[in-house]
Amino acid sequence: MTAVAHERASKPIVKRILPPPVTGQELVLVGVIAVLWVLLGIFTPSFLSPSSIQPLLVSVAPIALIGVGMTFIIITAGIDVSVGGAIALCAVVTAKLLVNYDVPLIVAVLVSMVLGTVLGLINGTLIAYGRVHAIIITFGTANIFQFFALRVFGSSTVNGIPSTLDVFGRGESGRTLGVPHSFAITILVVLIAWWYLRNTAGGRHLFAIGGNENAARLAGVKVQPRVVFAYVATGALVGLGACFFIAAGTSTLDQGVGAGRELAVIAAVVIGGTSILGGRGSVIGTLLGAILVQTVNSGVTQLGWPSQLANLFVGIFIIIAVGTDLLRERARRSRA
Amino acid sequence: MLIRKKVLAFGALALTAALATTACTSRDDTGGGGGGGGGGDDKVTVAFVPKLQGVPYFEAMNAGGKAAAEELGIEWLYQGPTTADAAAQADIVRSFIQQGVDALIVAPNDPDSMAPLLQEAADAGIQVGTSDTDAPNSVREVFVNQASAQGIGEGLTDALLEAMGGSGKYAIVSCGETAANLNSWIEVQEAYTAEKYPDAEIVDIVYAGEDQAAATSMATDLMNAHPDLTGLVGECTSSAPGVAQAVSDAGKIGQVFTVGLGTPQSMKPYIEDGSSSASILWDVEALGYLTAWAGLQLAEDNGFEATNDVSDDLPEVAFDESNKELLLGPALRITSENVDDFDY
Repeated sequence: MTAVAHERASKPIVKRILPPPVTGQELVLVGVIAVLWVLLGIFTPSFLSPSSIQPLLVSVAPIALIGVGMTFIIITAGIDVSVGGAIALCAVVTAKLLVNYDVPLIVAVLVSMVLGTVLGLINGTLIAYGRVHAIIITFGTANIFQFFALRVFGSSTVNGIPSTLDVFGRGESGRTLGVPHSFAITILVVLIAWWYLRNTAGGRHLFAIGGNENAARLAGVKVQPRVVFAYVATGALVGLGACFFIAAGTSTLDQGVGAGRELAVIAAVVIGGTSILGGRGSVIGTLLGAILVQTVNSGVTQLGWPSQLANLFVGIFIIIAVGTDLLRERARRSRA
Repeated sequence: MLIRKKVLAFGALALTAALATTACTSRDDTGGGGGGGGGGDDKVTVAFVPKLQGVPYFEAMNAGGKAAAEELGIEWLYQGPTTADAAAQADIVRSFIQQGVDALIVAPNDPDSMAPLLQEAADAGIQVGTSDTDAPNSVREVFVNQASAQGIGEGLTDALLEAMGGSGKYAIVSCGETAANLNSWIEVQEAYTAEKYPDAEIVDIVYAGEDQAAATSMATDLMNAHPDLTGLVGECTSSAPGVAQAVSDAGKIGQVFTVGLGTPQSMKPYIEDGSSSASILWDVEALGYLTAWAGLQLAEDNGFEATNDVSDDLPEVAFDESNKELLLGPALRITSENVDDFDY
């Protein structure tokens, strides 16, 4: 009798430790993207050509890359609205190092990532140990990061950014086998993060914290270091993503580089099926969300439709995604 | 302990940030010294509120205004918001009204919401004007116009169609959808293209906001959507280099031509590699100089002549009595020949 009960109890536990590799929401997203790509392929002259898809992937890369970190954060029921300011600060420091100090690219990228990590550490520490809601803290730091970025800009744009950044995806030198390097790096990061979230204790703890922080703490999860880690990881990815953003822009960097990016990143995460309430989410969904948003942006332009329709469609996708999530949550609560 | 230290350190950092901001603001407010009080000393104070501070365009205007202040013996105050935000700009305008400057000149982010504030300033005895962007339905006594919409629109069209050989399809990457000056130039471009270049056609107009990366990717999308496209216009300082970069990335230099309203230094690499044929702009420092001069005339109640001798560089500035506009002059075409004459 006890043996049977034991067996019964242990089986679902094994299942829960390793959740399904792909969720229904991700399959739906793949379907939506596939349908859109086919339709755009039919109704535009060259949406499915390399000259259109390659730039699309270059635009997706920084949003999806930073979105990986943002997914970690939102899974813990936090949020980071400071990434726009952090991008601006990392980007201007990197650009100035490249232009004024002739620093090798790899060093500039590392400096950017270290700087991003420090900014993430500031956010994470204040949120985890200060016990103030993440949106308040990061709203504050967003303005402070922006302030420092503007100081570094010093009332002028950074002109003459060297073409060494092309290696991240611009032109022939930025691609291997047709895949832009920034996108390849992003895929690699997504796969590592996917494995981390699914297969490691640290990853599962992030879900536990977002599901119920007190329960997680009582279960022995070191809540605060895990939360700090989510923001630090985001910071490091912001540092790398800032370099992708410079590479996707022009040879001039202006103070608008980070403006509104936090919302673009959060949109990708939310459309990707990560619950804004925390406790549920996936980095593959975030990648797909970023691809979907950029597909809409490019598609609207290539179809010759008015630009503002892109806002409408992205808005509808966000509402559908959040709405589905909230309905699911409500259904779960009413069952309980 | 460690935590508390970090919080403290952060607090100190924030405080430093706050102090630095204040210091910066007050320095800008008082300009050449002598207090921003306006009535405090004999010098006339002219305040200029740009759409936003810290971009090369308005900083170049500031440089011109400062130069004028030195030559004309006035005090030049310059302060703007750090984002092109109408509300933040309104706060700065209010603070200048409270300081009681002699003349207040604004480049409004939102002309309609600026109008009542200019009324408020006029009621307080301050002479008001606009520069760079007008607030037509306001009490402003002068609008310092950088170039007529006609001049810009025709300048862009001529420069582009010259490169395209007088015919072909082209598209426009604009920025803010509601930007009045951009839209007025586009209107001229449409009418002028139809009239003077019957074999040319504008196939699409898209809006990228003030976002270089978005402008670049939209220009790429336009080239994909119209394989026979041979021209692109970047309608503002962020999309002008953006469209050129897209052409260069697509390997279509010499096949797709671009022109735009870009600041000279940001356009230089593209003008050199041929991805941009020309940039249409005006002498921004001279615009700042003229703005300061106009402020002085307002403050001293001198009025304007039909043509005004402002300085050696601006010997004949026209004033249109019907709409009270000072016109800086014809639009300037920046090409590989003169791009190095400008340091902004």
